[in-house]
Order: sequence, then C-alpha cells, then structure tokens
Amino acid sequence: MSKPEGTERGGQSNSDNSEEKDWAAVKALFDNAKTTKKPRPPKPSNAVTIAVSSRTLFNMVTERKVFEEEGLERYVAHQLELEDQPFTPGVSFPFVKALMNVNARLRELYPDSEELFDIVLVTNNHAQVGVRLINSINYYDLTIERFCMTGGESPVGYLKAYMTNLYLSKDSKKVQEAIEEGIAAATMFTCDSENELSDTQLRVAFDGDAVLFSDESEIIVKEHGLDTFFRHEKEFENKPLAKGPLKCFLEALGKLQRKFYAKNQRISCPIRTYLVTARSAASAGARVLKTLRSWGLEVDEALFLAGAPKGPLLQKIRPHIFFDDQMFHIEGAQELGTIAAHVPYGIGQKYHKGKRIDASEAEKK
Amino acid sequence: MEDKKNYSGPLMIALQYNDLFDLDSTSTSTNTDVLPKGRAFTFIKAVQAVNERLVEQNKTESLLFEVILIAKECSEEIKMKIVESVKHYGLEIGKFFFYKKEELINTLQSNKVKLFLSTERDDVYEALHTGIPAALLYDQADDHVLNRLKVIFSGDVIGFSEDSLDSLSDFGFSETQIQTFKAAKICMKEFAVLIGQMRGRFGKENSPLCTCVLTSWGSRNVCASALKTLREWGVDVDEAFCLAGAPCSPILAVVKPHILWDGGLHNMRDLSTQCQ
Repeated sequence: MSKPEGTERGGQSNSDNSEEKDWAAVKALFDNAKTTKKPRPPKPSNAVTIAVSSRTLFNMVTERKVFEEEGLERYVAHQLELEDQPFTPGVSFPFVKALMNVNARLRELYPDSEELFDIVLVTNNHAQVGVRLINSINYYDLTIERFCMTGGESPVGYLKAYMTNLYLSKDSKKVQEAIEEGIAAATMFTCDSENELSDTQLRVAFDGDAVLFSDESEIIVKEHGLDTFFRHEKEFENKPLAKGPLKCFLEALGKLQRKFYAKNQRISCPIRTYLVTARSAASAGARVLKTLRSWGLEVDEALFLAGAPKGPLLQKIRPHIFFDDQMFHIEGAQELGTIAAHVPYGIGQKYHKGKRIDASEAEKK
Repeated sequence: MEDKKNYSGPLMIALQYNDLFDLDSTSTSTNTDVLPKGRAFTFIKAVQAVNERLVEQNKTESLLFEVILIAKECSEEIKMKIVESVKHYGLEIGKFFFYKKEELINTLQSNKVKLFLSTERDDVYEALHTGIPAALLYDQADDHVLNRLKVIFSGDVIGFSEDSLDSLSDFGFSETQIQTFKAAKICMKEFAVLIGQMRGRFGKENSPLCTCVLTSWGSRNVCASALKTLREWGVDVDEAFCLAGAPCSPILAVVKPHILWDGGLHNMRDLSTQCQ
C-alpha cells in the first residue's frame, strides 16, 4: 500500500518541489483566464506581506458595540442583516490604498516581478461575516485576494504562515503576541480627524528608539536620566544599536524603493520614509544615523526633535502611518490628525508621560 | 439526489486500517498484540468526542458518527491484531470489512458509506471519480487538540456554480477533469448537509465540531459564493481561508483539519505543462 516518496500523502508538508508545481499550476490558471483583468497575486515568499485586521481596514465601531453588549450570536446575525451594505473605510484604509498605488507603479516598471506588496486580511471574525467583508472589498475595488477568518482562534499562527512583514490590528493583545513572535506589528486606533493624504506617494514615519532600534538607550534615559543618556550615546556613537521590531519593515520598504531608483525614479519614488525621533541631532543623533548606515538602510528624512512634540511636524509630513512605542506621542500625533500606530514594545510600556506605571497597570489585557 | 431534512441514522465514515494503525514500524517484539497508533488516531478520538457531546445534549440522538474499518485481505494474525488493538485503545469501531484489492470501490458502495477517508490522495481521487464521497485524512501532528473535529470544504469546488464549472475549460481544464469537479461537488453537498445538521446542534462557541472553507486558487468572489452556497446547504461555516495560490501547507499546519476535501489542485498540475 505504501507509495514511493514523491507521491503526495494527505496533509504531510509537501516537498518544495510539489509546492513549486502547485505554484506553476496556479500561475498557468491565472494567465489562461481570459475573463479576469485583475493582476495575479504575488508569490508570498517574494512579496512584502501586509496583514490588516477587519476592524482597521473598515469602520466596524457600531458592530463591535453589538458584539460587546449583546454577544457573538447577535453580532453575527446583525452582520448578516447588513450583508449587502458595505462598511465605511477604517483607519488602515488610506495606507492600503497607498500600497495599491505603489504596486501599480511597480507593475508598470517591472511587469513580471513578484516583489510587490501583498495585502492580506487576517481577522478572528467568524466566516459568516466574511461575505460582508468580501462585498466591501469589492465595493472599494481593493486588491485583497487572500484572507484568513479564524472564527475566534488567534490569528498569530496564520501571520507566520503567510510570511507577514507587518501586522496591523486594533487589538493590542494580538499585536503584542505578534511582536513576541518576531513579526513587526502595531496597534491602530480610530482617528476622528484626518489630514488629507497624498494619493501618489506612500509615506511611512517611524520613531527611532524601541521601534526601529531596540529600547536599550531608552532604558538609560528612564533609569538614569538624560545626561547619562547623552554621555552614553556619544561614547558608543560607533556601536550600532540593536534592532527593534519595525526594522525589518523599513528594510522591506527600502528594497522596493531601490527598484524605483534603479529605473531612475528617485525623485518621483512613490515611497517615502521618515525618522521622527525625540533625540537631538547634536548629542544623540549620530549614533542613530550610523546604525542605519551599518544596516545598509536609509530613511529619506531624519527629523530630530530634541524633545519637542511630534504632532505639529507629523501634521506637515502627513504620513499614511506613523509608528511609535509611546502612547504619549501617539496621542499627540492623533490630536493633530495623524494616523498613528502603537508598537507595544520595550521599556516605554511601563511609563506614561515620564512616570513609572505600576507593573499590573502596565500589562494590557 | 434528495435533500434529507432531519436525516436520522448514522453518518458512516470508512477508514483504512493502515491509517488507523501504524504498520510500517511494526516492532519485532511479538509479545504485543497491539498495533501502534497511526495517522487517523486524533481523528477517531475527535469523532468520539463529538458523539459524546451529541448524546449529552440528546440521549436519543441518532445522527451520530459511525466509523467502519476497511482492510485488504490479510492474514488471520493481522486480522486478530486489528480487532485486539481496536479493543485495547477503546475505539468505537462499528464494523470491520476485509476486501480483495480490486474491490475497494464495491465495498464502499455496498455499505452506503457517507465518507471515505484516506491519507492516499490517489485512492481518494479514484473514489470521487466513481461518485463515492471521499476526502483526505489530514496527517495530524502529535500535539494536536483532540476534542475538536475540523472539516474543511473546498471553496474552489463549491464556489463555482454548475454553469461556471463548464467554463473551467477556458482555464485549460479537460472534460474529464471538469466531470471530476462536478462529481466532487455533488459528494461534498451530501456530506455538507449532514455535517450542517450536526453542527447546528451546537452554538458558535465551544463546539466540538468546526467547519471551514478553503479556497486555494479561486478568487475572493469564488470564496464568497462558496460561503453562501454552504449556507444554503445548512452549513454556517466557522472559518474561511482564501489563498489565491499561496502555498497550502503552512496554512493547513495552523488550521490542523481532520477531514480535507480536495480542491482539485492536483488537476492543475498538468495545466502548466499543457500551456507552453
């Protein structure tokens, strides 16, 4: 009864060869289909995969309320009643549209390349809500062909299975789980006022410490004060900082940027990155720039605020997303209409506005 | 094929003995009459857990799983070992059938099996082709949760309507391949209706039975169509996955299904060579 090695057995992980065959078959299928004009989704291992949750992609605030007040059964029934009504855009929607625009530009320059953004919907929503989600994706004509509706199970395992480069969710617990598994992730919040954003250029802003870099220097500030921090940074100027949870995402963006540079499109590159740090250029800035250089990475603009509030500057930059580890900065950004995402990592989680929080308060449920 | 509303009577699933027990690593120590556990073990335990919960809710419940074991003609010694091992592990096996090699299909048909489960993809394919409902028994990792039975339906097969199945020829599928798709869809429907009824005995949370849809190559609209079709058949699917060609195995390793209905992907292997 037992077959020779090479034959498939149900469920055992396919050999690479077998998966290559499957991929080739799917490619042929898409290329054959005369009816569809949609571009073929890229192979996950070549793409920059962005996983968004349903609540960040769409505004599900009222539905969420039904879930919290009336329970799961009523919530699903409610969604079914409204199945033909598309959701309104959520907080990661502008970011997703900007990603789609970059893909369009990449496809123009490199029609056969699979180094593209791949947007995946990963939600622990019940599959019955899926019909309304798919209807909404159709309504806005978003290029989201891959999704995972886990019906209540944790989505974190799926993030790895989809080779996710960045995960965005409203649930800080899931985001924390993802970061602990080594996946770049951030928590998003409903933003009331939003600035008008560019529809030709994706703009991503990053805080430095505990986002791109580890929190090692921030620990020094919190525990020993600013003066020690300045001395330390000067002394170790040439020692690269350790990497932080979003470093890989910056790296992925850089890789796509270079594809535009290679075709002489640096000026009109549809991706622009910003470093927005509370460090000051004079005393602590050099180490940051040298670290980036040692990693072979660049940011288009590095802005050193020397402790000044980030809100007004971000308002001018108008990023599609801004990553920071401290809620204080997130709130400051949001007050002036910037879409900000919290990275729950490092020593910053134990402090609020400079004061140490009690350990039990610091743990978010 | 009629819809059987409120079907009463067992949902019979046929397993092959070499999936239930591991015959390859038969130890040389012959003082044991018990065969080591095989790939189907977590499946059968999960099935028994569903039955227990169904009976808990309704003592007179008749829509329960019944597992029968089929085995090719083998020595009396092996037959004895099989029966002993089943007893030893406390497995609820309804019947045993021993058949000659060529008679697999007949054996399945004459026993009105509702599902033939096997880890051998070719056996599954052959059965589907002759109209017997068959699905892959997914190879479980040892640490899998034993008390939740997961069934994955193929969104690719279910999501295409009768008419659009014919249009698969545009994609390069042959007539035979399209016929197999259609046969598979009919089999899936019959099984889905029964599973739907069983699933309906439990609420959305804390159910020992979980239904899923996996669309491996179809578009998101094919997936939506599959969700709606399953709803019509009485299955409110719990989990849905749409891969658009992404590799299946990493996802399946997280989902950890027991029963996996094939999406016809192996049909497509030939496609890439055909279109050159």
